[in-house]
Amino acid sequence: MSEPLLDVQGLKVYFSNPATRLFSAHDAIKAVDGVSFQIAPGEVLSLVGESGCGKTTVGRVLTRLEKATAGRVSFSGHDMLDMSQHEFRPLRRHIQMIFQDPFASLNPRLTIEQTLQEPLMIHKLAHNRAEARRLVVDMLEKVGMGADVLGRFPHEFSGGQRQRIGIARAMIVKPQLIIADEPVSALDVSIQAQVLNLLKRLQAESGVAMLFISHDLAVVRHISNRIAVMHEGRIVELAQKTRLFEQPEHDYTQRLLKAIPRIPTSLGA
Amino acid sequence: MIDAIKNRAISIRRVFAGRKVAALGAIWLCIVLVAAVFAPWVAPFDPLEIDPVARLTEPGAPYLFGTDHFGRDTFSRALHGARMAILIGVGSVLIALILGGLVGMLSAYFTKLGHVLMRAVDVLMAFPALLLALVLMTLLERSVANTIIVIGLVYAATTSRILFGMTLKLKNDVFIDAARCSGAGHFSLLFRHILPNLLSPLLVQATFIFAFAQLQAAALDFLGLGLPPEVPSWGNMLSEERIYITRAPWLLLFPGLLIIFSVFSVNLVGDAMRDSLDPRFKDDIAGV
Amino acid sequence: MALLEVENLEIAVAGQSEWLPVVEDCSFSVDNNQTLGIVGESGCGKSLTAMAIMGLLEQSQVNITNGKIWLDGENLLDMSAGDRRRIMGDTMSMIFQEPMTSLNPVYRIGDQIVEALRQHRKMTSAEYRTRALQLLEMVNIPDFQQRINSYPHQLSGGQRQRVMIAMALSCDPKLLIADEPTTALDVTVQNEVLELMLDLQRRTGTAIILISHDMGVIAQTCDEVAVMYRGRIIESSTTAGLFANVLHPYTRGLLNSIPAIDSETEWLDAIPGRVPMLEEKLSGCAFHPRCSYSQPKCADTLPAALSIGESHLVRCHFAGELEL
Repeated sequence: MSEPLLDVQGLKVYFSNPATRLFSAHDAIKAVDGVSFQIAPGEVLSLVGESGCGKTTVGRVLTRLEKATAGRVSFSGHDMLDMSQHEFRPLRRHIQMIFQDPFASLNPRLTIEQTLQEPLMIHKLAHNRAEARRLVVDMLEKVGMGADVLGRFPHEFSGGQRQRIGIARAMIVKPQLIIADEPVSALDVSIQAQVLNLLKRLQAESGVAMLFISHDLAVVRHISNRIAVMHEGRIVELAQKTRLFEQPEHDYTQRLLKAIPRIPTSLGA
Repeated sequence: MIDAIKNRAISIRRVFAGRKVAALGAIWLCIVLVAAVFAPWVAPFDPLEIDPVARLTEPGAPYLFGTDHFGRDTFSRALHGARMAILIGVGSVLIALILGGLVGMLSAYFTKLGHVLMRAVDVLMAFPALLLALVLMTLLERSVANTIIVIGLVYAATTSRILFGMTLKLKNDVFIDAARCSGAGHFSLLFRHILPNLLSPLLVQATFIFAFAQLQAAALDFLGLGLPPEVPSWGNMLSEERIYITRAPWLLLFPGLLIIFSVFSVNLVGDAMRDSLDPRFKDDIAGV
Repeated sequence: MALLEVENLEIAVAGQSEWLPVVEDCSFSVDNNQTLGIVGESGCGKSLTAMAIMGLLEQSQVNITNGKIWLDGENLLDMSAGDRRRIMGDTMSMIFQEPMTSLNPVYRIGDQIVEALRQHRKMTSAEYRTRALQLLEMVNIPDFQQRINSYPHQLSGGQRQRVMIAMALSCDPKLLIADEPTTALDVTVQNEVLELMLDLQRRTGTAIILISHDMGVIAQTCDEVAVMYRGRIIESSTTAGLFANVLHPYTRGLLNSIPAIDSETEWLDAIPGRVPMLEEKLSGCAFHPRCSYSQPKCADTLPAALSIGESHLVRCHFAGELEL
């Protein structure tokens, strides 16, 4: 494997448990308990697992929305966790996030243009309004939306459209890594397919690396190169996708694969 | 621009649609506002002019609301009183919202600062509002500015509590995380992302503070700790003429009614705004 | 006559100025020992249909404007509110999607089950407790003797959903409506909960209506399937019959949208566009703007329900003629 873009070693995140009794001491919840993996440039690695396995926390640490308890994360050679928020700012552009809930992840008081313009202005990728607008319109076009949406507010859009805007916001700064946290699980089946296709196409076109966090193995199989299965804060199995689906080694992976309800394929299809 | 005006007109219509009493309240407030602005031109007499011959005249021409024990025209004084009412209302609302809003937002956003500031607010809130205002006023000179500052301070405490809670909730919303991932700094997160989402509740809060400020100011005046006695305000009018309640009841009737109507109107308008801004009432269609 | 027969059900929601139909001409039936799956995307009217049957639409915003709902030969829509309340939770009961919010957090789960029982059955308190324990055992709650005194937050999501099922089954209902019962649960737990429902059906003969957006869940659990799109059942059949011979382009599109777990494709065959909003008026077949087989006729006339083969109904002008 070539030089990894992201290298996570022994990552641990413990939360203090709001105590069960009013005045007793707090005990720690081990949300992430020693996770290591690497992502190569342009690679899509998926993190799958059931609710509470710690997969979302890993993503939030990598965007520094959550603090790590222990471990080392290096992003293209920079030791990310030791940096102050200020030192981290230039890197922030290169690590973008797509959120699960398209209804909560857009500021209801900002227009689509304001939302998409903000990262451009912050990272000085556009020097004036006109240039920013041109970049925003280009990006909107890439996610299948027209310039007519610029002045509109999030509540005017459906879930699928909002998720397209969320993807546009992450992609507009041309990052090197995208953390996609359950980006399609809140969408209807027919819309989910559109958004998955879009993500896959944009990823292939831009060559951005992606950490795809999901509970849905079928979706994960569709989009990723390698898959890491998480269970109770640890990665129990990490393998190339074909291998993972055809010869799952860990019994948790096997259990997960067996539990998925299958759809009988008709003779015609 | 035209669109913005049109939108505003529609939203005003929505606030008062099906809420006739609140609309009456709004009309009353408009009248008070006009009276306040044009008081020096509309008032038939100088509110401070003393006429010993005409003292305690009953309502009628030329003294519409009668005269007080100095022979001053009650109607003119009431008009100028409206001026004081608006001034105190607007002034204390501004102080309460800006100061309380900042304290609340910053406390919720910066957790450590919040521990200190909110404890101070807790101490302030341990006193009943009127008592706190009384204590502060006894320390200060009686003046219009001091009255506004004290009332503003008292309600800044409650405002900061409310905004603290709302900011705490907003701060953990996903779109704030998203803005953080876009690289937004503290200032931008606070004032570009969080503040606009607090505007509607702030507006509602403002109306209630406005109403309470009226009562508070009247109470302070009545107890002789508010505005200087020569300033024509509704509270001072009540305070000065209270001994004439049997001989000249109109002296208390008019300012009393003005206070009641105004406070009641502001509360009605505030309720109407809260109901129409509350998302739980958003889809409520009048008449269905 | 089947246990439950829904005839031409029509539901409308209050819009800005008029009533907007959300469910139209909806007919289906379900009998003892049978599981009917209703599948569709959000906003297709599947949950409203379930709530109409349960009698939960008693508000000004949503109205049943037409149709009949026969349960055991009685039209539920003609009943008084009091009579309906007596049936609700007794002859028929419902399980909701959110196991986190459908239990009251301040009461022990045992007390909540007893409360559900108390509405419909007169017993001594000892008998209530025995029955509650029996129900918890039936839904496979581990350590049910102790768990009966737990509060909802002390249980896992799967266990809470089991408690909901226990409550729903407390009065041996003839009809159980499950609205997305496993959507909030993990896959491994989902299977156990579905298995539990089917197992209980084998023992008690309860008829089940399972509402889901998940074709996999429906395929695995149901005897019959109805696919809804924008308020109408556009295709219905036995489960085996439907998956063997898909006749409506929407059903096919839905199936193609789902990434396969056992094989790989480069691109998903997504249905273009989105589910139309309630306010958008559509003539003809509601699916025609998104349908790749659409003909002028589709925009003009509403397709009638065609019966093809045994118990396979489909609302498409070209049913059977298309290579889907």
